[in-house]
Amino acid sequence: MLRQRCQARGNQAQRAATALAIALTTVWLAAPCAWAALGQSVESVAEDQRQMRGTLRSSQGQGFQMQEIASEDGNTVRQYVSPAGTVFGVSWTGPTVPDLALLLGPYFDEFRAAAYSPVRRHHPVTLRTEHLVIQTGGHVRALRGRVYLPSLVPASVAAGIIQ
Amino acid sequence: MALLAAPLLTACGGQTNGSPAATPAPAGNVQPIQAGAGPANNTVDGLFTSVTICVPNTSNCQTIDGVQVDTGSVGLRLLATQVSLTLPRINDASGNQVANCAAFMDLSYAWGPMALADVRMAGETAASVPIQLMSVPGFPSAPNSCSQGGTPNDSLSSLGARGILGLGLFRQDCGPACSGAYVPVPPLYFTCPGGSCAVAAMPVANQLQNPVWLFSQDNNGLLIQLPSVPPTGTGTLAGSLIFGIGTQTNNALGSARVYLTNNGGDFTTTYGSGTYSGFLDTGSNGIFFLDDSTIGLPDCPTQDKGYSCPATTMNYTATNIGIDGTSAPVSFSIANAQTLFQTRNVVFNNLGGPDSGSFDWGMPFFLGRPVFIGIEGQSSPAGIGPFWAF
Repeated sequence: MLRQRCQARGNQAQRAATALAIALTTVWLAAPCAWAALGQSVESVAEDQRQMRGTLRSSQGQGFQMQEIASEDGNTVRQYVSPAGTVFGVSWTGPTVPDLALLLGPYFDEFRAAAYSPVRRHHPVTLRTEHLVIQTGGHVRALRGRVYLPSLVPASVAAGIIQ
Repeated sequence: MALLAAPLLTACGGQTNGSPAATPAPAGNVQPIQAGAGPANNTVDGLFTSVTICVPNTSNCQTIDGVQVDTGSVGLRLLATQVSLTLPRINDASGNQVANCAAFMDLSYAWGPMALADVRMAGETAASVPIQLMSVPGFPSAPNSCSQGGTPNDSLSSLGARGILGLGLFRQDCGPACSGAYVPVPPLYFTCPGGSCAVAAMPVANQLQNPVWLFSQDNNGLLIQLPSVPPTGTGTLAGSLIFGIGTQTNNALGSARVYLTNNGGDFTTTYGSGTYSGFLDTGSNGIFFLDDSTIGLPDCPTQDKGYSCPATTMNYTATNIGIDGTSAPVSFSIANAQTLFQTRNVVFNNLGGPDSGSFDWGMPFFLGRPVFIGIEGQSSPAGIGPFWAF
């Protein structure tokens, strides 16, 4: 589903410059796909909703906005947006995992290293660095996870709200 | 040394424990299981059994031991390298090979074509069950939507088992969500024309099936029984997988409470002022809950990542609540994982780590506590599944 339709934007989402983002808007429309990458501006929640064919619910928290998209197949994705319009956290729950390469952009390799284990001990993945937090868990039919960028979490917001 | 010697002896006994289909255990519904390090001797708090598969409707059979028992997934998945039988593959209406993907919480994944086999355990048989052959040589590789950058479960050492026997709460791994009745279709089933695989809708009957609900008897659920262990752990530990709930004298519900779950298989667990999703998972090698920002349990150093390493053993009480309100507290302990691993034991009741979003009651929960699994839509004296009872 999402991830296959999103390849075009996946590469572009890693380009951070705001000016570039504006220039690329046309391309994104030509190759529409879900997900603003983490750390990027929230530009296409409506497009995300269309791709997931889900229902969108926006709610205002203390110092952040949450955009929740729920689709019929049981997936729910929440994007946490700062007052400046930047996605500082994303969480998901459902039978599948969103496109993490797209979502994490330049942080994806770091995440892969965290997920890899030379011994087979099955447990949730936790990665906590100064600039990135990733936590996954759950089970078949109800996988869940969250990622956020601590430096972009608004000062008035506790990271624990990303669930 | 006594602690070390005893488990080794038990381990040898466990590994010879394959039960030939022709000689079922006397009770007919009791399948031996072993907790421990598994056939690759590279995990802890794992749970394993042997499974007999047969070419459908024949006596051409093979028993595979060291298959992981996983209540967190559904369906039988076997490493292709461990299967000597030639099993019929499942094709779609156009004759294209059908493949399945499972993503696990540790972001490892299982990928491979679907096949049919009769599945036998204890004295029970499920006929012509859709199963998955993992990592078939020459088969198209996993699409990105399956692999997600995670680790493939493609060998005995990477999986830590010869297969996965998913005995979770559901009849199928996906169910109606993958049948095409809803959009978008999640990337669990694929068809592979011309050597590359694309997401496809899959009728429920052709999906990976929980073999238990396809048994002709004792098919409403199961009971997992394991002994308790001391705080320093133990070596390989023998227990029983008993099929059916209230169908024979050995699987009566007794005083167990029934915890109904939501459609995703979760009940609620509360701890302090927090409310979390809770589930029981023999495929989780520990109890995973909260994180250091919530309860201050320090993470272990890198080589034991994923686990907690408190300076002293910590004691906790959380409360599990079924969706109908049934509730009871559960007390548990978390010891220093590094210290536990240094004992060389492989079964622990106090091994744990962080999980920010849920209470993942893994193997330690099952030690010394009989747990019933009520399969969705199946009727038993405990009600209609999905539910856990303990």
